[in-house]
Amino acid sequence: MNVHDYVENVKSGNIDVVEYIENVLEEAERINSAYNYYTTICSDLAIGLAKMVKNNPKGKLAGVPVSVKDCICVKGVETTSSSDILKGYKPVFHATVVQKLINEGAIIIGKTVQDEFGFGSFSVNVGKSFKVPLNPVDPLRSCGGSSGGAAGVAAKSNLVHLSLAESTGGSIACPSSFCGVNGFTPTYGNVSRYGLIDYGSSLDKIGVIGKDLNGVELMFDVIKGHDANDSTSIEHINEKKEITKVAVIKSAFDVDDKVKSIVEKKLSDIEYDEIELPLTKKYSLSSYSIIAMAEASTNLAKFCGMRYGAQPDITMPYNEQFTKVRSNNLGKETKRRIIIGTFARMSGYRDAYYIKALKVRQAIINEYKKTFKTYDALISPTMPILPPLLKNIENLNPLDIYKMDQLTVGVNLAGLPHLSSNAGYFEGLPVGMMVVGNHFNDNAIFDYVRKTW
Amino acid sequence: MVNNIKIGLEIHCQLNTKSKLFCGCENKANEEPNTLTCPVCLGHPGAKPVLNKQAVMKALKVALAMNCQINPAMVFSRKSYFFPDLPNNFQVTQYEFPLAGKGFFDGITIKRLHIEEDPGKLIHKAGYVLVDYNRSGVPLIEIVTEPELTSADRAKEFLRNLIWTLEYLDVYERESESSLRCDVNISINNGSRVEVKNVNGMNDVKRVIEYEVERQQQHQAVQETRGWDSEKGITYQMRTKENEDDYGYITEPNLPMFEISNELMDNIKVDLAELPLEKIKKYIKDFGLSLNDAEVIASDKGVAELFEKVSMHVNPVRAAKWIRQELVRHLSLNKVKLNNITFNSKEFIKLLKLFFEKKITDKVAKDIMKKLIKDSSFNVEKYIKDNSLTAVSDESEIESLCDSVISSNPKAVEDYKSGQENALNFLMGQVMKLSKGKASPDIAKEILKRKINK
Repeated sequence: MNVHDYVENVKSGNIDVVEYIENVLEEAERINSAYNYYTTICSDLAIGLAKMVKNNPKGKLAGVPVSVKDCICVKGVETTSSSDILKGYKPVFHATVVQKLINEGAIIIGKTVQDEFGFGSFSVNVGKSFKVPLNPVDPLRSCGGSSGGAAGVAAKSNLVHLSLAESTGGSIACPSSFCGVNGFTPTYGNVSRYGLIDYGSSLDKIGVIGKDLNGVELMFDVIKGHDANDSTSIEHINEKKEITKVAVIKSAFDVDDKVKSIVEKKLSDIEYDEIELPLTKKYSLSSYSIIAMAEASTNLAKFCGMRYGAQPDITMPYNEQFTKVRSNNLGKETKRRIIIGTFARMSGYRDAYYIKALKVRQAIINEYKKTFKTYDALISPTMPILPPLLKNIENLNPLDIYKMDQLTVGVNLAGLPHLSSNAGYFEGLPVGMMVVGNHFNDNAIFDYVRKTW
Repeated sequence: MVNNIKIGLEIHCQLNTKSKLFCGCENKANEEPNTLTCPVCLGHPGAKPVLNKQAVMKALKVALAMNCQINPAMVFSRKSYFFPDLPNNFQVTQYEFPLAGKGFFDGITIKRLHIEEDPGKLIHKAGYVLVDYNRSGVPLIEIVTEPELTSADRAKEFLRNLIWTLEYLDVYERESESSLRCDVNISINNGSRVEVKNVNGMNDVKRVIEYEVERQQQHQAVQETRGWDSEKGITYQMRTKENEDDYGYITEPNLPMFEISNELMDNIKVDLAELPLEKIKKYIKDFGLSLNDAEVIASDKGVAELFEKVSMHVNPVRAAKWIRQELVRHLSLNKVKLNNITFNSKEFIKLLKLFFEKKITDKVAKDIMKKLIKDSSFNVEKYIKDNSLTAVSDESEIESLCDSVISSNPKAVEDYKSGQENALNFLMGQVMKLSKGKASPDIAKEILKRKINK
């Protein structure tokens, strides 16, 4: 059943929402025991919300089961960004997006696992006390990351489900591609980040993953809009501009032949020009890495074992205490990114790395803006490879892994809206294709994909 | 021989905004610890800052008063260091793009002026430390001067003048010594520059400079950062140049660039007519006030405004003296700011006129002043009439009062005759009492002296 029909049935009383949610919770437990998508399943909250909707079946998402990526705060439900350092932390407030979803009748089912703080492309960098989520098509493979749990549960649920996810450099598009579902990343500033645990605050965007494209758009429409609590959020009032002229980024097809063949087949019915984005191709990954890690290294400084989260007895001088808590509770990749990010902003290196990366970012944004004067959308494969076997990921070095984001970091750096949808399967493994729109022309992307896919 | 003392100040001043710099928590001192906090100022995961416009307006006022160049847009930055009083383990401040650049104040060049947040407060107990986050996120301005101050006294005077101006602008309230904190840079004889951190209040700034000038004469200065122990009155080494902190500044990505619009600027300029230092000069030059009277009156906005109204109707020199000695003293004893109450200046002018024309006595005038402070609808003339408080200056009337006092106090009369001047004051008191404070004291004294010496 699609999301719109389900909401109608809930409102008309054809579906008993409490019974339905009980079934959803049962399915969630069952899927979770095999695939590890959830960090927490919040049955009490879900049943409570379902009863409220049953009594008063209103709202655009009345009764719709929704999972929330672990980095987004749900009041009273353990929220950790899948890091041991936040074990036990229960937020005292709902993220703005969560509050908006509840206001429209959505039912919060649980928190989905991710790479710790979003640091990864395969969801293998979870904290020690968390389990790696498995690909819904082939459990020996990765479901992508960092929103791995969000994409996996959206793909694996037979009952209605939408996932709230988050992307810094491709964390919505990547797992959506590997799990064969739709993943939408809005324009930066279109959706409030209040209550999102920061990774790279100038890059972080909350978005939606789901099987049902119309459902994904419906949920995006619910969560978007200005929020006084997020100074970088914007109320956008411009008219939607229909996507008619599209371009394909030529060098983006310099990927695994299996991926290439599926995407090219999909493109055979579509009219497009071929273009290149030379600056983006050459510099987006390095600019992105420096900015994201520099911001992350300061954003994560607050996790030091005072006030909340992991907190052993405070007996040592504060410096030793902080060091011990962070050494014991942060993962290897997290430490790597904190160290790189700190290095990039230290005096003597700051100008050569951090400041230069900011300038390059502006140049890349300008390159995209120029392109969007001619074209309404850009198309490319989402990921350069098929979902990899988990055992092969262990052999990759960090730089190989960072390169997995080569097709997604540019648009994330520029804050452009993009939708990754399934383009087909190669020997049963899903391949994603990505449509990138101009700033704040988010909804036109949905129209385009509905029309041409 | 000490010559060429160079002193630069970095002054951190708390702004008296209603709420904190990045959240809605109340900005208030001396409350129960950790009661004025929220997810933002406690650094909870997911919380985000929202800039308080009132803080920007107040900082802009100061920047204009310091004649600074205002930058068209400002950016906040994160200054990273780990410390328990800092919830995010970074302080949101300004680095490359501060609110304002070069300016001048009280003859000293201002290098820059920026906005930043205050950390929480550590409370040291025996064997452990507590943290109070009520102060976390309180808005501060930092004013940085060039090293152009040349003595401890001059530095203190500069700070005093600055505080007057900040109070006059209604951006700062001197609640505690720590609401104005300074880092003091001192070098002598073109030697190395020593920075002394966290000095509270202008009196300690003076002490620090005196101590450092003395110390640097004894020991060749090296470039270093020192701390200040106010109780012992000494500075001590914190760190040398080699291990200076590296704060790894980045721009605060959760706050967009803030543009200073012309509209915003126009709104503020209206407020900045005349500041205390200009007023002091004017009062001395145009009205002939003493330096002391001019400083006391000009440093309080409400008092200065009252004085300027009053000076159009009565003798400004006499008015200033009485305002300082009676009105200001009474207000400060009762911790009342003229600006925070409705004060009827028209009635006050009537009061001064009556007093200066000797229609009422000093005692009656003071009593009426107190009533006027409490009640803005108080009618001076009606009150005097209803209570028959007009001064008695009719000589025959006072003469009969004096006769009566002399005859009923023979001992005091004898004492005065034998040379005890105090006895005359006692007799004067009796005359005033008998007249219910209305007898003109000058006349009464004349008559008493004349009658006793007869």
